[in-house]
Amino acid sequence: MKRILCALLLSPGLIFAGDLKIEGAWIRALPPSSKSTAAFMTIVNRSDAPVLITGGSCPAAGEIKPMITTKQEDGVMGMAFVESFSVPAKGRRVLEPGGDHLMLMKLKEVPKAGATVPMVLTTESGGVKSHIHLDVPVR
Amino acid sequence: MPRKRHRDARARRIGLIILAACAIVAAPALIILFSVAGRSSSPWFGQYDPDTHPGYNFALTDQNGKPVRLQDLRGQAVLLSFGFTRCPNICPTTLGNLAAVYRKLPPAAQERTKVVFVSVDERDTPASLKEYVPFFNDRFVGLTGPPADIGTTARAYGASFRKAPATGGDKDDYMIDHSTYTHLIDPEGNLRVLYRFEQLPETEKIADDVLRVLAQAPGKQP
Repeated sequence: MKRILCALLLSPGLIFAGDLKIEGAWIRALPPSSKSTAAFMTIVNRSDAPVLITGGSCPAAGEIKPMITTKQEDGVMGMAFVESFSVPAKGRRVLEPGGDHLMLMKLKEVPKAGATVPMVLTTESGGVKSHIHLDVPVR
Repeated sequence: MPRKRHRDARARRIGLIILAACAIVAAPALIILFSVAGRSSSPWFGQYDPDTHPGYNFALTDQNGKPVRLQDLRGQAVLLSFGFTRCPNICPTTLGNLAAVYRKLPPAAQERTKVVFVSVDERDTPASLKEYVPFFNDRFVGLTGPPADIGTTARAYGASFRKAPATGGDKDDYMIDHSTYTHLIDPEGNLRVLYRFEQLPETEKIADDVLRVLAQAPGKQP
């Protein structure tokens, strides 16, 4: 009992993760020579406070960072790192191809189509850091 | 009785005035409506260019080290876009959509269609293109060349690109901001249709445009 209590106290993520729902997550399969790839998903925040997604980790990548897509009027597009994606209270944030995404960088191994990649998302709400564990299909 | 006739005449007059007023208001509205309808009834999904503008006859090198000029692709519809192989989001989205367009074409039309991806990255080589481009479809063509030739080609197609600041400590680890338009070039080598990045998921409609461009070619059936 004491151990369970300890575990609960030490990992606020367990309580907090229930407020965040990840829908339709997937990682893009890319050629084996790729240095990076992207993960897409819809993050649903059911809590009354905004939540930040600050990055994440997975065994196949050196690091995972939030990236936004920039677009100029002449059709030039690019990417830029951001500190975090903010998911509004009782709101959602869509990460999709050609738009915002989580970039899996310094790939040790390029995820193959059909595989499932374990991934941990790092979140922050009201100054409290937490983690969400996901199994993300590759396609 | 005369009073009633008078009233009838007045009512008719008012009716006529209302009718005339309606016509005055309605005529321009109808003209606008028809012209808008006329425009939206264009069979082309992308931005169609009815004038003849020959595409720049680039001379670059493909993923097998073979020289390729636009001129060599006469008789084929060409879907041309710019990007780089380290591009993890935009270019795979573009090439993935173009692969879906290609799959929707009947085999005879596939034979007469080339998807061409020009790298604007001086780090790319035929070898890096060979690892990247055929992943989306093994019939796609990746092109590279000396930076000056790439620059001239990009400019000629209205494409621009620039290095984004390096992300980590490694100065070679940078991304490239680049144009995301796709050109559909007709079998005569003319720029025909232009697609914005956001239009590319409409692969069925783009496949229809490709078939139309192939059908326009003199003496050829798609």
